Amino acid sequence: MSVDAVSALGLSIRVAIVATVLNALIGIPLAYLLARRVFRGRALVDLLVTLPLVLPPTVTGYYLIVLLGRRGWLGGPVYALTGWSVAFTWYAAVIAATVMALPLLVRTARAAIESVDRELEKAAYTLGRSEWRTALEVTLPLARNGIIAGLVLAFARALGEFGATLMLAGNIPGKTTTVPLAIYTAVQTGEMNEAALLVLALTVLSCLVLVLAGRLGARAT
Amino acid sequence: MRHRFSVEIKKELPGFTLDVAWTAGDGVAVLFGPSGAGKTLTLQCLAGLIQPDAGRIVVDDRVLFDASAGVNLAPQQRRVGYVFQSYALFPHLTVAGNVGFGLRDRPRDDRQRKVGEVLERLDLGGLADRRPSELSGGQRQRVALGRALAIDPALLLLDEPLSALDSPLRRALRDELRAILTAWGTAAVLVTHDFTEAYRLADRIIVYERGRVIQAAARGELLWQPASEAVARVMGLRNVLHGIVVKSMPDRIQIAWRGHTLEAVNSPTRSYLPPPDSPIAFFVRPEYVRLVRKDRSALDAAHHMNQMRGTVVGETDFGTVWSLRLRLDTRGMPAQGEFDLEVEVPHLVYEILDIERDRHWEFSIHRGSIHVLPT
Repeated sequence: MSVDAVSALGLSIRVAIVATVLNALIGIPLAYLLARRVFRGRALVDLLVTLPLVLPPTVTGYYLIVLLGRRGWLGGPVYALTGWSVAFTWYAAVIAATVMALPLLVRTARAAIESVDRELEKAAYTLGRSEWRTALEVTLPLARNGIIAGLVLAFARALGEFGATLMLAGNIPGKTTTVPLAIYTAVQTGEMNEAALLVLALTVLSCLVLVLAGRLGARAT
Repeated sequence: MRHRFSVEIKKELPGFTLDVAWTAGDGVAVLFGPSGAGKTLTLQCLAGLIQPDAGRIVVDDRVLFDASAGVNLAPQQRRVGYVFQSYALFPHLTVAGNVGFGLRDRPRDDRQRKVGEVLERLDLGGLADRRPSELSGGQRQRVALGRALAIDPALLLLDEPLSALDSPLRRALRDELRAILTAWGTAAVLVTHDFTEAYRLADRIIVYERGRVIQAAARGELLWQPASEAVARVMGLRNVLHGIVVKSMPDRIQIAWRGHTLEAVNSPTRSYLPPPDSPIAFFVRPEYVRLVRKDRSALDAAHHMNQMRGTVVGETDFGTVWSLRLRLDTRGMPAQGEFDLEVEVPHLVYEILDIERDRHWEFSIHRGSIHVLPT
């Protein structure tokens, strides 16, 4: 395996882990709010979160460039102020992976939270628990299997992200080239052995994650 | 009287309006009525899980809700224990974890002592480390009770606490529940649609129908003096009949019914004096109709009043008693479709009198067994 392939593998794992952590931090509270609260703009939030699931990844990537690129709505002012842009850095790969994976976690976790008997939450309220603590001590523990499943899906999606990553982070060997991009490049340049190795590595990694998740799920029930 | 609470709730829902006011004190108040009458909704308003549109809820001088004063305590602040119909035990926690759930803000050893004490009193000592899924129906009920009682609630609410159980167990647990509520002495409000259950568990019964209270009374008073025909129907009383007033006096009332003039005792506590010729409703308990024995009818007749004759046109064997459907010999439409009166006789009497073959009977109803229902 070449140096670039090894660095792509390392980068992919790093991006997937960070994206999954970000997903947990953003996605679980979001799933709870969508499942349990009625608020203004709920339908809009639901739509925005779900959109990356149905849009072609390149379209999502395009929107991310419009938002975060060097001349983007948010990226522009940041670049003007600091001379730094997130585009074409490994952070961009993380952002792309996070946005693409979020709907998978939110939808799975939301369904799991919605299936928790509301009477249990009411019981907790009458026993003096605030909504916040009820969510932490009753709702989320009981939705645990669904949340774990959602996180596994999010990790897998982040690991395999291609289109949006290419758009926002580019394909800079050793810097933003993740395994899917490296496989694409290898096939394009006819390095079939390199491609096969990376394909094998990604397959083994995905299987490992699935087995691990199965263990976690089994222990939770 | 140590406890005293008053409830006044108005709540509009699509297609349903709850508009009730009642008071209760020590002991168990039962909200009794058919499903969909607003009983559970009342409990949820008491617990603060649903906010009424108007009204006032006061428990032991503590105002939990007062629409006009803008007071609405959160469920967390009410100190109201709630035993849900399905018990709503936390499946991921042990019995001890469930019972101690409302005590998590207390210091650890204080909490453990309290949990131990509650488990001990409810005979759950050996089950502390079990999960709810590993318990029997009766044990679950006790855990749900323990969890609600552990917080020393000012008021305990129980929503159909026995409905999740099979009928033999149900009867045993009804008496156990009564014993626990008595032992604990916490003021309680319990919801049920089963009159036997209401009567066994209640000190005071509040009868609900379509979002309104149609009677609130001590349980004995309700049993013997339902306030109206509506109450009698909700209670499932049989032989609710309609006649015409002949004459009414403070102690007696004469009613024309199916060609007979029946004499009934007027309630001494209610000065109900309907004018002659006005319609009147009354009921006769099936087990209080007496068949006149043919072998000594001449001697016996003097002790009977409101005598009538009729034929058994239908019967049902309920195991310990027979229910007979009697049709009077007088002309005209029977009062209850095919028959006039439902009469209940013990199995032994059915056999001794050989009712299976002998279908024509003279019978009587004591005036004290004809209960007038004011309109």
